[in-house]
Amino acid sequence: MRLLTFCLRNLFRRKTRTCLCIIGVALATMFVIAVGSTSMRYVTVVRELNVLFSEKVMVVSENAIVVQAVPIGGGLLPENYTVKRLWKVDGVEDVVPVLFVTPVGIGDTIQLVPVNFTMGIPVGKWTAVIGPTPLRGNVGHFPSDESEVVVGCSLADQCNWTVGSSIVVNGYRLNVSGVLDSKVALIARSLVMPLKLAQKVYGYPGSVNIIAVAPADGVSEADLADRIKGNVSHVKALTEEERNDVVEPVLAELGTWIMGIQTAVFVLSLILVMTVMMMSVSERRRDFATLDAVGAPLSYVFRAVVFEALLIGVFGGVLGVVCGSILAVVLASLYTNIPLSLFFPSLFDVVPPLYMVEVFSGVVIVCCAGGLVPALNAVRVRVAEVLRAEY
Amino acid sequence: MKLRTVNLTRVYRRGSSDIVAVNKVNLTVEPAEFVAVVGPSGSGKTTLLNLIGLNDYPTSGKVFIDGSDASVLSGGERRKVRLFRMGFVFQTFNLLPTLSALENVELPMALAGVAQREQREKAVRLLEIVGLGNRLFHRPKELSMGEMQRVAIARALANDPELIIADEPTGELDSKTAREIVSLLSEINKERKASVVVATHDEKIVDVAQRVYRMVDGVLSLER
Repeated sequence: MRLLTFCLRNLFRRKTRTCLCIIGVALATMFVIAVGSTSMRYVTVVRELNVLFSEKVMVVSENAIVVQAVPIGGGLLPENYTVKRLWKVDGVEDVVPVLFVTPVGIGDTIQLVPVNFTMGIPVGKWTAVIGPTPLRGNVGHFPSDESEVVVGCSLADQCNWTVGSSIVVNGYRLNVSGVLDSKVALIARSLVMPLKLAQKVYGYPGSVNIIAVAPADGVSEADLADRIKGNVSHVKALTEEERNDVVEPVLAELGTWIMGIQTAVFVLSLILVMTVMMMSVSERRRDFATLDAVGAPLSYVFRAVVFEALLIGVFGGVLGVVCGSILAVVLASLYTNIPLSLFFPSLFDVVPPLYMVEVFSGVVIVCCAGGLVPALNAVRVRVAEVLRAEY
Repeated sequence: MKLRTVNLTRVYRRGSSDIVAVNKVNLTVEPAEFVAVVGPSGSGKTTLLNLIGLNDYPTSGKVFIDGSDASVLSGGERRKVRLFRMGFVFQTFNLLPTLSALENVELPMALAGVAQREQREKAVRLLEIVGLGNRLFHRPKELSMGEMQRVAIARALANDPELIIADEPTGELDSKTAREIVSLLSEINKERKASVVVATHDEKIVDVAQRVYRMVDGVLSLER
């Protein structure tokens, strides 16, 4: 008689109760997976916003409201004047003016984490902003004139845009000359076009809202930022560290809250499993007494009860991870307005497999812990006491 | 197995009063002997069986198994004695309800580490001996009371015990089935040379026992 069969049969002696317990554990797991992966994704996306201007000083208007490297509100900078002033600052390697616009017409509200962007970048300066991002399938090219645009892969998939597609942005007809192949949310959801074109399309002629300034060799970001602040008026010069300093405390606090909620959910699961197993053990005192009488080792009885709790964890965990992953995808879709069909193929981007394994393991461990006290009660059952109570 | 008790006493504390369930009992069970303990309900028979079956600890006195003092045995050692050298039959059968008849009989063998194939073969053989060869895969709730007691007897025999302890084995059975169980226990005693200690009210058992003790208010006296 295998322990697994023995435990499964005992577990499903009370089908309704066991199923309800499994559903309870599954709901807890689902909650942890959905909330955890959604918040993790949120944090990842916010952190990714900095990726474009990594190791560069970001110059914005002194009124600008910036989340990481993305200006979500505030003033513009006069392009030519500011760029000229910046080139005069000692220790400057490169100056790239960028017009960052959000959104591009899919949803009209300004969001803390926008779901799509337009980046106007001077022709030929693409890599200075989006790095070595390749074009999907190596098909097409970066914009070479002021009617072309490259689009992020997620945006292209959502809108069925391919190389050669003609799209209309703010009444301007533009040709898609390439699709950016990147898993970075910011790039995957961007329209990248020549700066002049962006200024024309969005009605900001001669204006930009970010200028990325690369320090020369031997010059630190902090030094360069100080020099910029000293030489150029009415601007904020933010190093990568300063940009992180704004957001990281918020993200850390968010992480703490999420962890607290997850812990509370796990504790509730533990209490649920412990209660159900205690009921089960107290109903089966006669069985444990019989095992005691026939000479079953204490370890056998202990293992059997803990194994039953573990099985609840395994069933609830599997169910919860599957449902939680689906819920996470649905939440991601609702949150970003991106169709579900685009998220499902990249399920493991939304809920990383390692996170699934971590949560599943956590649930199984919690359930096993929930079985410990009932298991101790089970090994304490003595046949003499049970029979004396009966007769 | 030779079993001997010396001044075996078990006192239960209930509230502020002490109840002497077993009072200075001296009992000897010789190898292959069939002993019956008779007495009214509450006289201490079950407590005595629990003490000699090492399921309970005496308040005072000792149990000797083959001349060795069982009081020095650890919990694990007592379990091993129960598993390998004793078999138990209860009035209410105490079969595990989720296991089939066959699995119930296999259980002590599985606990004793017997190979799975051997367990199966022996369990089938034992169930055939007790007349349940056609009820192997039935769960306890699908069996009659007499059949359940036969399964319990087969389970008690699983590890070839030297001592079978039966507590009112016919208490829940009709007279015809009770007769069958009595003759089964008697056959086991004779053929397997296992000692049998039975607590009972049943005159049929008293008739087949080689020695009969009477227990009244925890005191044991030899009747026959």
